[in-house]
Amino acid sequence: MMLPDLGSLLGFSTEKIEKGDFILLSDRNADASFLINHFLSLYLRAGCKVCFLGLVQSFSHYSAVALRLGVNLVQAREQGQLVFLEGLKDSVGQLLQQGPDSEAYPMGFLRGSQTDLRSLFRFVQRSVGGAGEWSPSILLVDDLSVLLSLGVSVEAILDFSHYCRTTVCHQLQGNMVMLVRVGEDEDDEEGPELLLKALTHQCSLALSIQGLPTGYCRDIHGQVEVRWKERGPGAAGPGGALAQKKLLQYKVHDKGVSFFARGTSSAVL
Amino acid sequence: MLLDVIQGTENGGFVIIQDTVECCGRQLLQSCIAAALHRLCVHNGYTDPLGWSEHPLFTVHQFISEELNVHLSGSEESKPATLVIDSLSWILRHHPPAVVCQRLQELRRGGALRRVVALLHCDLHQQGIVGSLCHLATAVISVVPGDRGQQAVAKTTRRTKSGKVTHEEEYFSVKEDLTVTVESRPSHHGRPQTEEDEREVDPAANLTFNLRLSEGEKEAKEKLSLPFVFSAEKKSALLQPRPGSGRIVYDPDASDDFDPEDPDDDLAV
Repeated sequence: MMLPDLGSLLGFSTEKIEKGDFILLSDRNADASFLINHFLSLYLRAGCKVCFLGLVQSFSHYSAVALRLGVNLVQAREQGQLVFLEGLKDSVGQLLQQGPDSEAYPMGFLRGSQTDLRSLFRFVQRSVGGAGEWSPSILLVDDLSVLLSLGVSVEAILDFSHYCRTTVCHQLQGNMVMLVRVGEDEDDEEGPELLLKALTHQCSLALSIQGLPTGYCRDIHGQVEVRWKERGPGAAGPGGALAQKKLLQYKVHDKGVSFFARGTSSAVL
Repeated sequence: MLLDVIQGTENGGFVIIQDTVECCGRQLLQSCIAAALHRLCVHNGYTDPLGWSEHPLFTVHQFISEELNVHLSGSEESKPATLVIDSLSWILRHHPPAVVCQRLQELRRGGALRRVVALLHCDLHQQGIVGSLCHLATAVISVVPGDRGQQAVAKTTRRTKSGKVTHEEEYFSVKEDLTVTVESRPSHHGRPQTEEDEREVDPAANLTFNLRLSEGEKEAKEKLSLPFVFSAEKKSALLQPRPGSGRIVYDPDASDDFDPEDPDDDLAV
């Protein structure tokens, strides 16, 4: 069974976007950032208003990847469809600033007395609000675990995601996609694990990327566990307390990703 | 027992529903609400729980008995109310556990409440905190995935005022109209009931050679005594000396000089 792309795996397409979803992406000793790029191109092609908090890469990096997937980020930004926060550039500006504490700036938590992410949330609120030709509103975050390394507490990040979910998913009926990365050889492992568990309780769909348990393979880049909490096959049935799970393998190509059931890779069959 | 606890037949109770990322307890919480539904009053602590906007409706800092009593007495009903908290984990992120326990006890003793039902995500907190909160509760329902895979199991522990503790495990499901049905009780070893249907397969059937024994052959096999399997009679017969068997007769030669201290004659004296 070959599922050509991400949309068909999750059951939505550019014509039909589910509303009010909180999609949590996570990876453990693997790199799930390809999923962020795919969601970005999917939502832009579907005509959504996208607010993208790019905290780990520069705009030109995302732009280059998006071009290969058939989407022009520069044009989308100029037209107002995409609002992009370039975390790397802004944070340097914040740290080198001579002036008074600027709580109004999105990355203002790096300096200054505020311990919560209120200013970042205000930036998101400003970016996704406002009825326009682009709809629904989408928030993409790449990624939340980098905030932990910047000294933000797990509680502050959870409060931020709670407020984003209230605004984006419930008030505006849009979607939210957040990435959390967990490594296995870091000293402080409690932070990312706790963050991941708490966000898994809040989300409606969770995609976890891992390397293959048997090791590196040239033709299969890893496995993904898809967990539907509120929708998906059989979720409305009895015993809906249990999340519906599905385990698939994937391979990343130059212009896309293909997902397939375990053991059905083209290299094997 | 699960249905009794959900219906809430006793007053002054404090019920905690524990869940994990594997199995969500929110549906059970919703069925508790449905069961207590003589009058439903929702206090919106979801939109702005930390007061980040100008006019918060209900914040987490208002979780004290004075404030809650104001909200409760604001309603026209004179009957004591059921307080449902979704979720206690959220409150524990913003208040120390000791304070939360204290306030819960104050609420229960206040008299304005008939019952308190709370949802707790036990994998987000340390065991000690979960233990302390459950110690305060009169009933604890833990929701875990069952062995059958499709159903969830509710492990209910109830403490009566006399101090008697009862425990029960039941498969349950929650329908669309939020009624709970209890399916059955899982067996002690958690074996699925389909094992009773399996029959022993006869290995000697459908072969090209004969592995079965005739009656005469079976009798001879039963009679055969194995060489190293000792019964009591055989043992005692072997241990006692029998006449005519294995005797050693020694006639010393003239040159034999039997020295009892050196029978082999090899010590150099």
